[in-house]
Amino acid sequence: MSKRTTGLMTLGLALAVCVGTPAADAMIPGISGTSPNPTFNLSVKTGYIATPDGGSYLVWGYAEDPNAMQYPGPTLIVHQGDTVTVNLTNALTVPASMVFPGHVVTATGGSPGLLTSEADPNGGTVTYSFTATHAGTYMYHSGTNPELQIEMGLVGALIVRPTGFNHMAPTAYAHPDSAYDREVLFLETEMDPNIHIAVEQGDPVPLDEWWAVNWFLNGRCAPDTMLAVKNPLLPHQPYNCMPMIHPGEKLLMRLISAGRDSHPFHTHGNNFDIIARDGRLLQSAPGAGADLLVSDFTITVPPGGTADTIFTWTGAGLGWDIYGHDPNDPLEPDEYAPDHGKPFPVTLPTDQELTFGGMWSGSPFLGLLGTLPPGEGGNNPNAGYTYMWHSHNEKEMVNNNIFPGGLMTMLMIVDHSVMIMH
Amino acid sequence: MMRKVKYSIALLLMTLLLGAPLHVSAEINPQFAPDTDGIDTDGDGDPNNDHVFIHLAAGDGMVNMADGKLQYIFSYSDVTGMSNEMVAMSGMLGATFPAPTIEVDEGQVLFLSLTNVGMFLRPDLFDPHTVHWHGFPQAAPVFDGVPDSSISINMGSTLTYYYNVVEEGTFMYHCHVEATEHMQMGMLANLWVNPRQNNLPDGTDLNGFTHHTGYQYAYNDGDGSTYYDVDYPIQFHSFDTDFHDASLNVQPLPFALMKEEYAMFNGRGYPDTVDPNVLYNTAGDEGYDPQGNRPSQKVNSLITATVGQKILLRMSSLSTVEHFTVTSTLPVPMHVVGEGARLLRGPDGKDTSYRTRSITLGGGEARDVIIDTTGVAAGTYALYTTNLNFLSNNQEDFGGMMTEIHLTAP
Repeated sequence: MSKRTTGLMTLGLALAVCVGTPAADAMIPGISGTSPNPTFNLSVKTGYIATPDGGSYLVWGYAEDPNAMQYPGPTLIVHQGDTVTVNLTNALTVPASMVFPGHVVTATGGSPGLLTSEADPNGGTVTYSFTATHAGTYMYHSGTNPELQIEMGLVGALIVRPTGFNHMAPTAYAHPDSAYDREVLFLETEMDPNIHIAVEQGDPVPLDEWWAVNWFLNGRCAPDTMLAVKNPLLPHQPYNCMPMIHPGEKLLMRLISAGRDSHPFHTHGNNFDIIARDGRLLQSAPGAGADLLVSDFTITVPPGGTADTIFTWTGAGLGWDIYGHDPNDPLEPDEYAPDHGKPFPVTLPTDQELTFGGMWSGSPFLGLLGTLPPGEGGNNPNAGYTYMWHSHNEKEMVNNNIFPGGLMTMLMIVDHSVMIMH
Repeated sequence: MMRKVKYSIALLLMTLLLGAPLHVSAEINPQFAPDTDGIDTDGDGDPNNDHVFIHLAAGDGMVNMADGKLQYIFSYSDVTGMSNEMVAMSGMLGATFPAPTIEVDEGQVLFLSLTNVGMFLRPDLFDPHTVHWHGFPQAAPVFDGVPDSSISINMGSTLTYYYNVVEEGTFMYHCHVEATEHMQMGMLANLWVNPRQNNLPDGTDLNGFTHHTGYQYAYNDGDGSTYYDVDYPIQFHSFDTDFHDASLNVQPLPFALMKEEYAMFNGRGYPDTVDPNVLYNTAGDEGYDPQGNRPSQKVNSLITATVGQKILLRMSSLSTVEHFTVTSTLPVPMHVVGEGARLLRGPDGKDTSYRTRSITLGGGEARDVIIDTTGVAAGTYALYTTNLNFLSNNQEDFGGMMTEIHLTAP
């Protein structure tokens, strides 16, 4: 990684791990209306996004009025049973619209389009209304020329919180099987810059020669995925993708495959339980909970689909004490007691025989920094454990021919003494 | 001329590496702790054999595609038990594709020593390497092999990984240093863990299913539902020929253009997939390897069984670009009993296994598939990709991601 990106990452991570808040406030950033009739005033606007390979591309994105556009669009967070109203104003020179897969939508105003009513160019408006009947993870996107407009950036997430949602004890659905401590959004997209350059220049758009060379999580390519939310260097890409947990906590992963390709998403560190797909619990009968859940270490959410999975980790069963304890030291919360005090099982090579990762703390133990040669490390001041979470079609871990990057981020697990800011 | 120059630089490198035995011994330092706890953790009746040692060399190699094309690869080779001097001699340009299969038992402890022997044909590269046991439960970064999160081993040195094997299932392993490049170049292989249920006493009742010595299962199912007679790993991968050629010829690597051209099962395209022999490369004949043509592809995909047997296919994909879909010409469905190295069974015991005619895997995905051949006529059947363009060895039609299932009469 270049010095510049390492420096940016330090800044971002330092912002992310600061004064703490209780786990239950670890929610996905987005905009909420007022239940039971939330109203969102959105516009479709143009803007530019940045990719770590130095790319700067024209995109079309949804914006919460009166703000600038963002990629992806604002995450809409509503409650089960809400009647949701979205007022859309179109600043583009072509028609635009919104569709909400999984929901029955009534459109008023606008002009008739193929999939839904559309807002006319240059300030036209349309209003969409639907009832958020089921809890879960959904997406919205443009219903106008979607083969171009989704590529251009007109996509976003919709989260429906379940009836009786309690932010101090959150669940994804109205069943305790979907309980979690923290949640993170993974909105997967890809991009062909040639499409954006053609649109910018007013040239014919070569959709038939589409060839993706950039891959995104929540609108950013790695390593920007690991910078802070609303980083001022990325004014049109406000969201990050930086899951952080303590051992034993449950992380709800809301996966959305929002482009046209399938991405096999792999979590280092442990399997996760797939509890829901496309906004429905994997249940044998209503009310049964996630009794048909499937555990896996890699999940392909097909294009247009969503999935909810629960990830947790304790380091159980490794055969050595991950905290580097002596047998007389007290147990950490959620520590696997049978391994307490067991010594590290091998001798690691000397410094000169090793290449160190930017997130290596200098020691194999959770919460313990070790000595590192000058210039190494610094990105992991709390000596957390980091795990690369990424698309396992490895080509997608690249930023326009430059490795590393793309559809990738890191889970950071910090010991219980470290507060996680959100 | 170019080839001969590289040859002598490589020879020089080898001489330097081997020229100071004491220096080499200190750095090629495999570690292994014998099993002295007196506890039979893998349940096979012997309390002293639970520790397993594997020594891998990481470097470059060459393999021939099914159309004869010689491709440059990065991968691992098995140097278990070799002296330190032999590790370098054997490992340099000795990588095999796929890398050596790792098979261990639940309850064992694996010490995996990884020696980086450098790149014989690219002495300008100083890539470190790692081993990532893909899917290892509750992994800690130090032994997880992701270079950004931990440590990777430099040329001429050895890093020993420690795995307390507590879960059975079908996994896979690969290098995670510059993963896009090293995985495209072939640094990957099959890995699975046999369940402790295999070692139960003869006659044990498993909820109505009677276990006998020698019976094998994919998972600790408790009811014999993942019993199999024969098992075969089937790993999907594909080479981009331009990428491998660029690597050999010291050219910039075309990441953005990466595509699948030689689609393979277990490192071979059809008809090599059904060749039961170890395949030797032509690197010696073509002037790349002073040691001559070396065994480079040791894993075939020929599936043989007698009618009535249950075949377990341990399917995984480590491909770097595409998802692949695979089906068979057998008249019986495939029963998917495992996914992500876990038994397909819900938390309160509901059966979530399913029967299907096709399996689609993206990179990093694994499925355990049991085929019950009861009632099937003896004969030759095909296991092949329904992405029909990949039934080819690059431009050679026909070949690619296909193998045969030979069913003989009982």
